Formats: sequence, C-alpha cells, structure tokens
Amino acid sequence: MVDVLSPTTPDQLRDAVGWALGSRTPLEIIGSGSKRAFGHAVLADTVLDCSKLSGILFYEPEELVISAHVGTPLAEIKAALAEKNQQFHFEPGNFPALLGGDVVPDAGTIGGLVATNIAGPRRIKVGAARDHLLGFEAVSGRAEDFKSGGRVMKNVTGFDLSKLMSGSFGTLGVMHTVNLKVMPCDEQSASILVACDDPKIAGKVMTAALGSENEVSAAAWISSDDVKSLDVPLAQEMGSGLVVVRIEGPAPSVSWRSEALCKLLAQYGETRPLAESYSQHLWHCVADVKPFVPVGDVTLLWRVSVPPASGGAVAERLMAVTGGRVMMDWAGGLIWLQITGSDVMAHQVRDIAGASDGQAVLVRAPAKMRESIAVFHPENAALARINAKLRQNFDPEGILNPGRLSPPSANGEGA
Amino acid sequence: MLRMPEPDQHTLARRKDIIAAMRDIIPSPGGVIVDEDQLRPYECDGLMAYRQLPMIVVLPENTGQVAAILKYCHTNKIRVVPRGAGTGLSGGALPMADAITISMMKFNRVLDIDWDNRAAVVQPGVTNLGITRAVEHKGFYYAPDPSSQIACSIGGNIAENSGGVHSLKYGLTTNNVLGVEMVTIEGEILRVGGKGLDQTGYDLLGIITGSEGLLGIVTEVTVRILRKPETARALLLGFNSSEEGGKCVAAIIAAGIIPGGLEMMDAPAIKATEDFVHAGYPLDVEALLLVELDGPQVEVDYLIERVGKIAKDFNAVYSRISESEEERLLFWSGRKNAFPAIGRISPDYMCMDGTIPRVRLAEVLAGMQVLSQRHGLGVANVFHAGDGNLHPLIMFDANKPGDLERAEAFGGDILKLCVEVGGVLSGEHGIGVEKRDLMGEMFTADDMKHQERIKMAFDEDQLLNPGKVFPTLHGCGELKTLHAKAVADKFPTIPRF
Repeated sequence: MVDVLSPTTPDQLRDAVGWALGSRTPLEIIGSGSKRAFGHAVLADTVLDCSKLSGILFYEPEELVISAHVGTPLAEIKAALAEKNQQFHFEPGNFPALLGGDVVPDAGTIGGLVATNIAGPRRIKVGAARDHLLGFEAVSGRAEDFKSGGRVMKNVTGFDLSKLMSGSFGTLGVMHTVNLKVMPCDEQSASILVACDDPKIAGKVMTAALGSENEVSAAAWISSDDVKSLDVPLAQEMGSGLVVVRIEGPAPSVSWRSEALCKLLAQYGETRPLAESYSQHLWHCVADVKPFVPVGDVTLLWRVSVPPASGGAVAERLMAVTGGRVMMDWAGGLIWLQITGSDVMAHQVRDIAGASDGQAVLVRAPAKMRESIAVFHPENAALARINAKLRQNFDPEGILNPGRLSPPSANGEGA
Repeated sequence: MLRMPEPDQHTLARRKDIIAAMRDIIPSPGGVIVDEDQLRPYECDGLMAYRQLPMIVVLPENTGQVAAILKYCHTNKIRVVPRGAGTGLSGGALPMADAITISMMKFNRVLDIDWDNRAAVVQPGVTNLGITRAVEHKGFYYAPDPSSQIACSIGGNIAENSGGVHSLKYGLTTNNVLGVEMVTIEGEILRVGGKGLDQTGYDLLGIITGSEGLLGIVTEVTVRILRKPETARALLLGFNSSEEGGKCVAAIIAAGIIPGGLEMMDAPAIKATEDFVHAGYPLDVEALLLVELDGPQVEVDYLIERVGKIAKDFNAVYSRISESEEERLLFWSGRKNAFPAIGRISPDYMCMDGTIPRVRLAEVLAGMQVLSQRHGLGVANVFHAGDGNLHPLIMFDANKPGDLERAEAFGGDILKLCVEVGGVLSGEHGIGVEKRDLMGEMFTADDMKHQERIKMAFDEDQLLNPGKVFPTLHGCGELKTLHAKAVADKFPTIPRF
C-alpha cells in the first residue's frame, strides 16, 4: 500500500523529509498530481503530498508580487490575479487533458508549475517560470531548511538558486513557499492570421514578424488539419494551415502594430486580423496544445526545442521522417510532434533535434515505454557530471523523487 | 575590517615557476604581467577602497589558453581571480597576493550576429555597449544597460547579473543571456544553453549568471538582442515628498503601465546633479520622478498622457514632458551623472545598492536620515523606483581619519534596514567583498551552506575567487556531512492517509 504523508506546515514538511532521510525512505513529491504522467515514474512507495501546504501568503498588485505556499491551486491564484487584472506573464499552459487525463481547467498547483518550469507562448518575449520566480523557501534532501532570493524584482544577493529550483522536478529540495513576479494584463490583445501550409515558409513568416519592431508576443504555426480543432470560425474559413502572430499592449498601439504586421506579412500569403475574443481562445489552445489532446488511443507526443529560426526546417524533417503531425510555437523554437502508432522513433527525433542544436522531450507515452526510453533529452557528459554532483550535494541519500528524471534502465541511478 | 584568506606561502615561494608555466601557455609578449608597476592598475576594481597587488596577471587570448591556465592552477592548487573590465562596484575582482588574476579583456571580438534568431554571440571582453554598437545598424540593441555600460564587459555582466535602468520592463542579464561557454577549474570546456530556449538538466545557466566568478570562467556569451523601440519620451514629475512620489509610482504600475525607465531622486541628489549638468530639474521639490515610455509613437503618446494624468491625481507639483529627443536625453543626463555629481560636492562617496519593496520607500528614506545623523555623514539617493533598487550615495572624506570606517558602518546599517523591511543586500552590484560579511543579515547558516554546495559541485578546492560572496567557507567535508536529525518513527504530527 502506498503511504501518504501530508504535511500542513513547513515544520511538518521538514520533519517528514527528516524521517525519510533517517529511514532511507524514497519520497514521491506531489502537489495535485496533474503532471504526474509527465517524466518517469518515481521509484518510491511513499508519497509526500504537498497539497495541504496551501494558501496565498500575500499578494501586492502594486508591487507586482505574489507569495504562496506551494500547494495552492493554480485556479485560486489565477482568480486572485484576475481580480486585479494581472497575470503570470509566462502564460503557463494547462496539461491534464494533453497527458491523457480529464479536462480540468487551471489544474495543478503553483509549486508544480515552478518545479516543472512551464512556459507558454509568451516565452519568446518574457521567458519561463524561472524568469519570474523571485525567491523560495524549501527543505533539501538533507532535511535542512534553506531559502534563496526574496520578494523584490532586482536581487543579486548570493547565487540565484531560484533558477536552479525551477525545472528541477523536486529532485534538489521540496519547496514550501514561492514568491513570483506578476504583471498587468495588457489593455488589448490581437492576432494576425497568415495562410500558410508549408512549415518552412511558416518559419520564415514567424522570423520576419519577430524581427520587426512590432513587439510580437507570440507566434505559432498550426497545420490545416489541426486548425479544424480550434473552434475559430475565421481560421476554419481560410481553409489552410495558419501562422498566428499576436500583439498585445495599449489599444492604439495594438491596432497600429496590427496594421503594420498585416502589411509586412502579406507577401507570404493571405493575412486576416482576428478579433480579440477569438485571439484569446486561440492562444489558450496553443498553450494547452489542444490539437494534440488525445482522442481515443493514446498517441505519442514529443516536445522539440530548437533555435527558433530553424523550427520550420526541423518541423518539416520531423514530419517526413516520423510521418507525424506538428504544431510550432515560440516562433519555431518549440515543435510539438505527435506520432501515431507504437514506434516512438527516439533516435530519429533526437538526432534531428540535436543536429540543429536542439533537444527533444517525450511528453506523452505509455508508462511501460517510459520505463525504458529516456523522457528527457540526454545531457552531455560534462554537464551530467556537474548535475549529478549538485544532486548529490542537495540530496545525498537520493530520497527526493528518485527516478523522476531518468529511466530505471539508466544504471538504476534514478535522476 | 575586511579579512581575506591568508596568502599561501607555498604558492608565493613558487612564483617563478608559475610565471614560467604561464609564459609557456601564453607566449605572446605582454600576456603575462609580473612587474609591480604593471601590476598596479590591477590592484582594485570599481570598489577602490580595497587594494591588493595580484601575484601575477595573465591575459589569455583564446579558450584553449584559459583551459590550460585553469588546469595548471587546479593541479598546482593555485588560486585564481577572474577579471573583466574592472568596473565592478563590490570588489568581485579584488586581487589576492597569492592568486593569478586572469584578465579576459583580450576576448574582445563579436563572433556572430544571428539576426534570424535575434541573438549575438560575443567574447566576454566585449563591452555591454559594444554589443548594441554591433547590432544597432539594423535597428537592434542589447537591453540591460548598467550605468557603466560604455566600459563594463559582458563577461562581467554575466558574473554580476547586472541590471540597469530598464530592468523592470526588459529584465536583468539573467533574462537576456541565452548561453555561455565556460571553462571549469579542471580546465574542462562546458557549453551551457544556446540559441534555443530550453536546456536539458538543471538550469546551470541561471546559476552561472550572477555567480561572481566563483564557478568558472566564461569564454563566450550568447545574448538575445531586441528591436529598438521606435521612439521614447520621458516625463519629469516633482513631488513635495518621496512618499507622494512613491504613491505615484505605485499608481502608474497599478494602472497596468510598465514604463521602460522609472527613476527617482531625492532633494540632495536633485541639487547636486542640477548644479553639475543643468538638466533643468526643479530645485523646490523633495522627490523627482523620471518616467520613460518607449515603443511605437502612438503607444508612447497615449501612455505619456495617461501617466501625466495619474501624476496630477497624485499631487505632482511639477510636470514636464520631453518634446524632442534632445530634451529626453537632457532629462536623463542629470540622472546618469548622479554619481560624478556627488563626486563634485564630496571628496569621496560610497555607492550602496539595496533593494526594498517599493511600498516601504518613505520609511526607508526616513530611517536613512536618522542613520545619517547618527553617523555624521550626508547621503543622497537615486532610486530605480520601478523595481525598488536604491542607490544611496554616502558622502565622506577618506583623508579624514575614521571617515571611511564611519561610511562603511553607515552603509552596513542602510543595508540592514533594507533587509529588515523585506528587501535584499544587493540589487545589481553583487556581493563581492563589499557586502560579504553582511550575508548573515539575510541568510541562515543552512541557507549559506546550500549555496556553498553549489560551489562545491564546480570547484571543490575553492580556488576560484576565494574570499568573495561567502563570509566563511566551510570545508567540503563539513558540507558533505549529514546533520539531519533523523528520526526513527514517523512524526505523529504529520497527517497521514
């Protein structure tokens, strides 16, 4: 039977980790469990459930900062921010459906968001969760409290551990409190649709848009097949694949830039402005990777990250080699690749990504497959050595989420 | 007084051999500096109160040489102090008597501009402004702009995670660097990050940025470049108190406006700069705000009107909008010359660098006045009001016995005050040696040990930039020991299911 520890205070959290350390009991750390199907299964029978470490500690809109315990539901935080017309600028997507689960709006906890360093379409302009984490408090695998950063925007006091903790999947420490930077919602948001079926040309369109002075906040390409799943009448009417380019800001600026972009991009295909409500809906779909939410049989899904300008060529090659479908975000810097069938083609996908200085992460695959194939892109040996030392120094007994970052077949070393 | 690690006599005794080994690695003339008069320019960085002649200075020309030098130092247990342009204000490049100072200023080439990926690949000795100069002909620029940008190197910016006046909107160095090539103390060449946005494994780029030369030596940098906004305009707003100025800042941000620049000066700073550069600042206000909006012309015109209206609602007693590029630059000239302006009215000044939650500004400024009287020294304040980063300028006379010590004590008290109200010791200048011994004000022993454990993953022998950042370095053995109070039974207080 799985044992579950549910600390309700930071002190209890430290005690729980202290017990695990003393008894050499590996822990699986979870918030709401919304991203549990992503990555490798943790090799632990005991769950450290942080969802009771919950609650917003302070939210000061005029200071652009929110502080919360890690188990606070994202839905609660987003509602608080929305009330003051603010947001997380990095626009995290919502993945339960994508990972094969039920549709849950604003799923997950703030801790899970930081631990996985999620970022949505606005990543190309404003960065990821790591760029907005101002500070945290945590318990390391040594059962010691430690903190770094603070609650202010500008801080170079000591090493920037906030970066290290973001995206570390709970393998260095268990955070209990996080402070994040928030930003005002833009007065207006609009998108331009450019008809485009060829991913290579789409790459050129996005590069041109990003290189212009129109402060584009997102650019994506969706194939004609996938446009159908979006519920955007204008997009369907155009009857082709689409490059979608977003601009945000004060109303007069958005209309001015929108016009400028339409003119600039007309040379690549038919351009149409998209009304704000549809634009917002469409970007939610891109952030949540809606076209690749599985229907029926679970299909395989890769997330390939490359220098944005090579996205078009890489996408084309991935499609040709795997026979899969792709969607591009981050102006080509992020390629979602869905493969039907049971051959995950890890070598092919990773070789193509690697040849363009990129990397590939296997986001969705049957649990059995994730036992033998590395979900995360293999690191080069030099970096792997440093990462292993960091892991060893923060969690010497390997009790925090062992196995989360690499498959059991990798020498049984876990992460 | 600041204590640095004791020089290692064994190393000093081997100086001749070390010089010979360095000359083997760097054969070009001038690559190894050993004479006292030539070492002298390297004895300090921008924190001039502390000086120490380095054992020797080397100026490598390529990554291979850096790797060979570090490998030699690692094998022979010789300490190393990395150095960029030497403009740092916290003493991060302060030499040691038994250490080799490695100057990276021969790494001065722009290697590649990748317009399509909006990235520039440069060597670490290229100046911050040099990057903008290399890309501005196509309308691009590099966003972080520390006030030393004409001289400071991008390698130094990485080391310190430098900010600037535009960081609220455009971020610090860490938000604008995409990748680095770094040589470890073992002489291994690492490539971390790149033109893509995701990295594998832990975010080492994030931890290297701002690590003050304690983790390795950066030999190549990839930064993102941005399109220069079409235009920019600035407003000068005067208030009868810093509190009212602070409230206006909060109101601007609460209205959803994030200005490109948002600076505040107090009365002593306004007077000193106005006397110096004649920017036309009002002398009858207690606080002056400089608000800059940038973007397309339509956006700037629209927002400047909105900010002007907010200022009126928040009791601005003075308001002026720049009507030309010349006028905008004039507005900035005062703020940008604040440090030399104070230098004109005081024989010496010490620039502090705390960050506070903005809402506590009035309280902190009042506290500073009390401290000013207690220590018997004047202070002027310039403030990156958007992000809460304060630069109090403490005025003193180093030739007066005891004045430097009083200034240091005053500065320490100011930083303690910043921490007390929820702020931090350094917003953008780094810890170096200057604030090293104050780290305990903000961090517990366990906090510090976890930072040191990162150091241990990169440099177990503690050869890279010793004496900086950490007040006391624990031995690796101690850091590795488990201190946890391991418990046999599960704690009954933790709810279980």
